[in-house]
Amino acid sequence: MFAGIDIGSLTAQAVLLEDGNVTLSKSISVRPNPVESARAVMGQLLEENNLSWGDIGYCVSTGYGREKIQGEGMAQENVSEISCHGLGALSLVPQVRTVIDIGGQDAKVIRVDGAGELVDFVMNDKCAAGTGRFLEVMCRTLGVALEDLGPMSQGARGHIHLSSRCSIYAETEVLHYLQRGVDMASLAAGINRSMAHRVIALVRRVGVEKEVLMSGGVAKNVAVRAELEKMMNVKMVTPRLDPQLVGAFGAAVMARKASGAA
Amino acid sequence: MITMGIDIGSLLSKVVIMDGDSLISSGIVDTTGNIAGEIDGLVASVLSDAGIGRDKLEGAAGTGSGAELLENVDFREDEVTCVGTAAGYLLPEISMAVDIGGQSITAILLDAEGEVINFMRNDKCASGSGRFLEVMSGAVGIGVDAIDETAAGAKKPVHISSQCGVFAESEVISHVNAGEDAADIVAGLCEAVANIVAAQARKFGAEEKYTLTGGVARIDTISKVISGKLGGTFFPFPHDPRLASAIGAALLAGME
Repeated sequence: MFAGIDIGSLTAQAVLLEDGNVTLSKSISVRPNPVESARAVMGQLLEENNLSWGDIGYCVSTGYGREKIQGEGMAQENVSEISCHGLGALSLVPQVRTVIDIGGQDAKVIRVDGAGELVDFVMNDKCAAGTGRFLEVMCRTLGVALEDLGPMSQGARGHIHLSSRCSIYAETEVLHYLQRGVDMASLAAGINRSMAHRVIALVRRVGVEKEVLMSGGVAKNVAVRAELEKMMNVKMVTPRLDPQLVGAFGAAVMARKASGAA
Repeated sequence: MITMGIDIGSLLSKVVIMDGDSLISSGIVDTTGNIAGEIDGLVASVLSDAGIGRDKLEGAAGTGSGAELLENVDFREDEVTCVGTAAGYLLPEISMAVDIGGQSITAILLDAEGEVINFMRNDKCASGSGRFLEVMSGAVGIGVDAIDETAAGAKKPVHISSQCGVFAESEVISHVNAGEDAADIVAGLCEAVANIVAAQARKFGAEEKYTLTGGVARIDTISKVISGKLGGTFFPFPHDPRLASAIGAALLAGME
C-alpha cells in the first residue's frame, strides 16, 4: 500500500493507494504543527479502514514540514508540493499540461510535459491577494461561509468593482459597499471576479497549455472557476478526485513509483 | 501672513494655521464618511484656538486623498508637493522625506532648494503603512498610541517574516497564542515596519540627511529602527509629523 501526506496551511490530507486503483483519503483541519497534523490525518485514515502504519509500504510527504514528517519516520521520502501537484494532476487526467493550484496561503501555476516532468512554474506566497486567504478575509467581512461564496454569486445581476489588489484595502472597500446596502450576490460576484483576476495574472506569467486542471481548496469555488475559464477561454478538466487531495494523491503516486511498483 | 492648510487623509484629517513659517494652531480628527460636513467644525475650532477670525486668513490650500471634498480653499495641491514643501522649508539641510501615511509610503527626493525632484510611492499594498500598523497592534490588543510604551519592555523581539498585512497578522496572532510577551511582539512589529519603510527609502540609494513624516513617524521605536537602518543623519520633523502635509499646504498658500 502506498501513501501520500500533504500538509497545507489550513487543511491536512492523506491518501492511500491500493493496487493503483482504489484510493482512500482523509482531510482534516491542521493541528498546531505539521508533524501532529500528519500523525492525526494518516492515523485517522488508517483507523477508519482497519489498517495500521505497518500496512504502508512506502510513503511520500509534501507541503509544510515535509522534511520533519520524514524525520519522524512517517514517510520514507519528501517531495516538493510542485512536483506532487504536477504528477497528481497528470495521473488523474493524462492530457493535463497546466495545473493551477490555489491553496489557503499560496498560489502556484505549474506546467508539466506528458511524462509529468516540470516544465515551468510560478508561485505567489508573499501576498494574500490571489490566494485562499483573500477569500477567507472577504468571507469574514461579509459574514458568510467560505463554501457559500461561489454559489452566492451565481445569478448575480451585477458585480462590485474592487480597485485594490491588497486584501486589507479591499476589505475596507467591501465594508463601504456593505454599508451602502449593495446586495450580497453582487458583492460575492465582485470578490470572486477580483480573485480570478489575481490568479490569471499569475497564469499569464507561465502561459496556458491545455488541458488545464485546478487543484487546491479554491478550485471548489464554482464562480472563480467559471471566471478563470472565461478569461483563459479554456474549459478546465474536472478530476474524479476532490481537488484538495491532488497534492496528497500525487505524493502517493510518487511513493508507488519510488518503490518500483508498476 | 496668516494661512491655513487642510489635509484630508485616508485615516486622519488635519487643519493647521500658520503665521508665515510658524505654526499657530492645529487640529486632527478621524476621516469619517461625512468628513466634508465635519471639517468646517475642525476649521472653526482651530481658528478659535489661534484667536484668529476667518476674515484674517490670507490664503488656504487643501491636500490629501479627500482634497476634492474641500470647498473653502483657494487651491488644492498633491500630498507629495505638500510634504516635500514642509520638509524642505522647515529642514533646509535634508535631501529626502519619507512619508508614512495611513495607506501609503512615499519617499520624496528634494534638491538643495527644497523642491521635489522625484518620488516613489507604494499605495497599492498596505505593507508598512499606518493601516498595517493598526491591524497588527489590534491583533496584539493594543492601540497604535500604546506601541512605544509597550515595546519599551522588550527583551527579545520576535521575528515577523511576512510583508503582506494579512499574512503578518496571522504571524502576530500565532505569537500571541503561543504566549509570547506583548512587548517582544510589538517590538518585532516595529522592526518589521521599519524594514519595509527602509527598503522603500533605499530605492533612491543612500541619502545622507532625511526626515520622517506621517503618523507612523510619531512612533519613536519605529523612527529609531528606520534611522538605524538607513544610516546618515535623521532630522526629526519639528512638529507632529502627521501635520507635515497640512503645513506644506499652508506654506504653499502663503507663496501663491
